Amino acid sequence: MKTLMMASGLALCLAASLAQGQTLNYMKALDAPHFDGHRTTWSPSSDVINLVQDTLVALDWDGKTALPLLAKSWTVSPDGKTYTFKLRDDVQFCSGKKFTSADVVYSFNRQREVKGPFTWRAGKLKELKAIDPYTVSYEMTEPYSDLLVQLTMFNNAIHNKESVDQLGKDYGIKGLDGTGPWCFVSWQPRTEVVLKRHDAYRWGPSMYTNPGPVKFERMSIKIVPEDSSRLAAMMGGRFDITPHFPTQFIDQAKKAPMLNVDQAKPNFQLMYFGFKIDRPMVSDPRVREAMSIGLNRAELTKAVMLGQADPAYTYIDPEALDFAPSTKGIIKEDVNRAKKLLDEAGWKPGPDGIRVKDGVKLAPIVYIPQVTYFPRMTEAIQGYMRKIGIDWKIVALDSTIMPAKLSGQDFDIWTVTVPYLSAGELMNFYFDSAQIPVPNRMNYKDAQTDESIRFGRTALNDADRAKGYAAAQERVMKDHLWMPVMNVKMYQTSNKKIKGARAHMLYQYTYYKGLDIAP
Amino acid sequence: MSSPALTVSPSGIERRNSVLSRLARDKVALTAAVVLVTIALAALFAPLIAPYDPYYTDLSKPMQAPDGEHWFGTDNTGRDIFSRVLYGSRNTLVMALAGVLAGGALGGALGIASAFYRRLDPWIMRLVDIMLAFPAILIGLSVAAIVGPGIESVIIALVVSTVPDVARVARGSAIGIMGQEFMEAGRAVGVSNGALIWRYLTLNCISTISVFLTLRFGQVILVGSALGFLGMGAQPPEAELGMMAAQGRDFLFMAPHIATIPSLVILLIVLAANLLGDAVRDVLDPRLQQ
Repeated sequence: MKTLMMASGLALCLAASLAQGQTLNYMKALDAPHFDGHRTTWSPSSDVINLVQDTLVALDWDGKTALPLLAKSWTVSPDGKTYTFKLRDDVQFCSGKKFTSADVVYSFNRQREVKGPFTWRAGKLKELKAIDPYTVSYEMTEPYSDLLVQLTMFNNAIHNKESVDQLGKDYGIKGLDGTGPWCFVSWQPRTEVVLKRHDAYRWGPSMYTNPGPVKFERMSIKIVPEDSSRLAAMMGGRFDITPHFPTQFIDQAKKAPMLNVDQAKPNFQLMYFGFKIDRPMVSDPRVREAMSIGLNRAELTKAVMLGQADPAYTYIDPEALDFAPSTKGIIKEDVNRAKKLLDEAGWKPGPDGIRVKDGVKLAPIVYIPQVTYFPRMTEAIQGYMRKIGIDWKIVALDSTIMPAKLSGQDFDIWTVTVPYLSAGELMNFYFDSAQIPVPNRMNYKDAQTDESIRFGRTALNDADRAKGYAAAQERVMKDHLWMPVMNVKMYQTSNKKIKGARAHMLYQYTYYKGLDIAP
Repeated sequence: MSSPALTVSPSGIERRNSVLSRLARDKVALTAAVVLVTIALAALFAPLIAPYDPYYTDLSKPMQAPDGEHWFGTDNTGRDIFSRVLYGSRNTLVMALAGVLAGGALGGALGIASAFYRRLDPWIMRLVDIMLAFPAILIGLSVAAIVGPGIESVIIALVVSTVPDVARVARGSAIGIMGQEFMEAGRAVGVSNGALIWRYLTLNCISTISVFLTLRFGQVILVGSALGFLGMGAQPPEAELGMMAAQGRDFLFMAPHIATIPSLVILLIVLAANLLGDAVRDVLDPRLQQ
């Protein structure tokens, strides 16, 4: 009896450790509001969507090249308005349904119908036609120079109409079907997402050695909001991989014998503070400029980020495609000039040092995500603002409610870190007046900027594209619609017991498809 | 004919002096009182004592260990921790005091009303039972969700969590006094209800309630600090001990002083309050005196 019990116990332990070994344990800092890519811009949704769903094309490691994925090839009409995609005929959804051109047509039409905030990434669609089960004609009203790269974004993933209809308002919450390397099993908000291997997956992009299926049976994605807890969890071997190892401890991770740290390069991620320019406190460009030039970005990134970010003096990183060199020098840090601008704008220092105008204190409400470096970075900037007489009122929000709160109009300033691939993407994303109220939360409407962006977007050659986007960058920077702070470095930290983990730069989550990751 | 509860007789003054001298002879209580008074005075005179502006950031000196220039070191934004501890103690003590006093007044009123007006007793006690069912942290989170985080939200949460305990204690004490002969005598000679409640009941229950509140003070500080730790209390750049401890935990491995110093100050305040509260109870509690 005793022997039997011992044997049973040993067998259970073995089974548990085997099951554990077949599960990839992924950790991240913040959860998503849901996983319907048509209804969100929030990056915590994007990683799971990229794992469960596929796009027509994949983004190569260089962040610029579109590789075949669900589309095996494509041609472009001479006027740049029509793309014809030839699709793979060996793809199926997790549900078993075969992927065809009808799914592509459905997905892009649905995005337009629900007025998804990222619909612009698909270009100005005129008509999408299924020529045959594996050929799609993608016709736009105007050329779109960024189309292929934008088609790699999670919002342009292909959905299964049957799944959408069946789940209704629970789509992206209780279920999600896709052709990706993983299949959605369950989601317990703020706790865990569980995925299982898509056994039929064989169509991974050529940037990976392994086209599929993935090497693990199961993926468990857990949310650990606290920096110290994530540090301890990775050091203790509780998780296999994370894109959210606390940046202030990255040097320790690099020295840890059990961890691998891979930096995503290239990587463009701007942390900025945006101004809602129709709110009284920040409607005056002099006030906005004063805030922007009242910082010391080099000091901030060194002291708060411990060197894991580069100070940003422009909205676009100088190494990004179509960066406008003419925008260098628009932001020149100068505390004395900042005070002078505020004086000129009529904000005079009160008895407590905070500026007052018409009886109102200059105390803008600032929304921030209550996660990772945002609270301490914002508090440090708050210190700079106090020195020039501005009292930032910080409101820290949970990541699951932040998108909803940001769509409101009852705050003056907000901050996020935005990943982008090129100058054009950021200009189109934020500064086109068609994007009001989200993501153009500034409520910025300028005909000249719109025209410059349109010119760049519809350009048929690189020179014109760069010219259009450069004009837009100059205009929006001179208006000080944002306060750029830093370009955040992006790392993927993994336990050495797994192999093949390489950091990808797409939209803040380094895992992407992860097809080469193996135990 | 004067009420026996109200006259401040020479024997009452003598009694107070005897209480103080008994407290003074208790070395532990004396030490606790000295610590508490020192912290309270330091907090009160923080604007005069603090060597630096508690809001002044200096990113050229982040996370400096304690030294001659910054006695408690600096935090992650270069702010002087000693100055912030002074101002933070202020906020912490104000929150606790407001919570205890307001909670004590409301709870005492409810308990005494419950004892005097017997028809109201079941209703008041059921209300108290409902309030007791909610943990203070939950109340704090709810209030913060409704009115927004801040010191006011913490005070409301502390008041709401203090009221039911005080109500029960006050009721128990008041019921005992209601059975005394002088209450019947007062009624018989036509003393008004207001006078009965205030001069006969309340003044006789005050010592029991006070003893309870002094014991409660330490707990209230802990709960208030916990709410501050969770982000419900003072908002940046305001200093508050619980919040400072929370901010420091991100840097526990590289600059432990940022979290540990405010935590130690909380420990000191709570320990002193508890020890003093115990001593005051030993001296003042009528049941122990009997």
